Amino acid sequence: MSTAAPPGSRSTSALAVQDSLTRTLRLAGVQLRLNLKATLREPQALFFLVAFPVLFLIIFGAVFTWDVDEASGVQGRQYVSAGILASSMFGTSFMNLAIGIVSQREEGWLKRLGGAPVPKMSYFLAQIGAAFTITVAQTIVMVALGIAAFGFQTPDAGQWLTLIWVLLLGVASGCAMGIAITRVIPTVRAAPAVVNLPYILLQFISGVFFPFHDLPDALQVIASAFPLRWLAQGLRSVFLPDDFRFVEASGSWDLHWVAVGLGVWIVVGLALAVRTFRWDQSG
Amino acid sequence: MARMTPAISIRGVTKRYGSVTAVNGVDLEIEEGQVYALLGPNGAGKTTLIEILEGYRRRDAGEVSVLGMDPADGSLDFRSRIGIVQQEQGSVDQFTARELVNAWAAAYPNSMEPEAVLDLVGLTDHADRRGAKFSGGQKRRLDLALGVVGNPDLLFLDEPTTGFDAAARRQSWGVVRSLNEQGRTILLTTHYLDEAEALADRIGIIAEGRLIIEGTVWDLRRELNAATRISWRPADSSLDLGGLPGEWERSDSGRLSLATQAPTRLLSELLNWADARGLDELPELWVRSPSLEDMYLELIGALEEPDADHGAST
Repeated sequence: MSTAAPPGSRSTSALAVQDSLTRTLRLAGVQLRLNLKATLREPQALFFLVAFPVLFLIIFGAVFTWDVDEASGVQGRQYVSAGILASSMFGTSFMNLAIGIVSQREEGWLKRLGGAPVPKMSYFLAQIGAAFTITVAQTIVMVALGIAAFGFQTPDAGQWLTLIWVLLLGVASGCAMGIAITRVIPTVRAAPAVVNLPYILLQFISGVFFPFHDLPDALQVIASAFPLRWLAQGLRSVFLPDDFRFVEASGSWDLHWVAVGLGVWIVVGLALAVRTFRWDQSG
Repeated sequence: MARMTPAISIRGVTKRYGSVTAVNGVDLEIEEGQVYALLGPNGAGKTTLIEILEGYRRRDAGEVSVLGMDPADGSLDFRSRIGIVQQEQGSVDQFTARELVNAWAAAYPNSMEPEAVLDLVGLTDHADRRGAKFSGGQKRRLDLALGVVGNPDLLFLDEPTTGFDAAARRQSWGVVRSLNEQGRTILLTTHYLDEAEALADRIGIIAEGRLIIEGTVWDLRRELNAATRISWRPADSSLDLGGLPGEWERSDSGRLSLATQAPTRLLSELLNWADARGLDELPELWVRSPSLEDMYLELIGALEEPDADHGAST
């Protein structure tokens, strides 16, 4: 905190706000602490955020027992488990964040916050940080379960590293998309409907429930424009045998394209969000 | 008082929503260090106007300068120098008062001490309680705390005491006065006429999106031609009123009353008349200026029913 003045002694020379990176980050930290407190004070919500994808993992893992690829011996449950992990990361960042922001808007929290000199980017970073924290909790539980029961191979050091950056970029890109979409969500009642449409469609065409390499080219191209496809591919590179890369659409994990696909969304999505985001939707 | 730069200066400000003109060409100047009260019926455009000044809404036309800046730019500099207490402020259920005041203080370059602000609004004893457990009045005081913790030069208070009991209102008036004594400009909207009269240096009345009248309470009285009422009750109903100056109305209880624009002269004539009659006391005599509320209701009533006859009472 900067210099605090007692209420009686007012400095007449107003200090200009330095719109610096450190200030943006410091205020993001302040908002993040509030976000995390709010999350911890509603432990039921956190429980279901973790339990929901775990349940998905168990159901699909039990059903998808056939081979996706005989040469590498990769089974459907392995493939779909990596996909569900990707889709739960994407859901927590994209869907929960979008609905959460719209409900903060409706409760007047955003309007109040927007009245204070808080940069939009601080707010965005705090939201991304909170989504990241929840995603890490989800991921730890799901990876443990995946390795124990659903044929995930234990990653080597390089693959752990890949998991970390894929998770970071994946969550940030999902959040960027989530923040950007709030502009077209009129009310919190409409939010699930608006958000579910892209979320469910993307799950079908991004290699979550169906192997991506079997999809028609046109759908592959569309899916490649969104983060979920790259997120799922990045996670498969971590948890599936390396030989499976020959089955991927281009015959490779294409990790550099994973980074680009997610990175572009972060940059473009956040730039779009800063331009279109409104503290108060009433105009 | 020395002439200072205006804290707020607007000209021709207009805001339309579809075919409805919420604010219609408002000119207004509020000097630094003043308390200015905006009055008006619901839907008159008060909140729309104040939200244009706060930077929440964009005007369709007109010039706006608030602290020398254009609120529509929404700059962090602008927001660090104003404080906002909205009419319907958002939920704070998940957090304690102290957490929120600390978080808000962190955003301002020259904030007040959070503890001092909690004390100022009287929340020190409840600082670690979550908003969900606050009463309506406590939530409102927390709103005020978050509005002032940034040490603003200009404070917007949109109906700050709606829903307060009488004691809480008086208490918050004290807070508003002390904030003003520290040199802050305050723009207040209220439905309570006594609140405006008690706090404001100047008052503006808004109706149908227009600022229809503005000035000090005494300016308003003058401009509205408010009549002073003189009344007394003769001890004996058979008293001969011959030669009594003016057209007095007699009520069922025998009370005589008269509304006048020249109360001093009428009173002097009345006393002379009593003197000549050898009456040394006029029983139950009172002389009353109309309350701001009377004037306001008359003004608003005249606008709402333009055909009604409002000349009768003067």
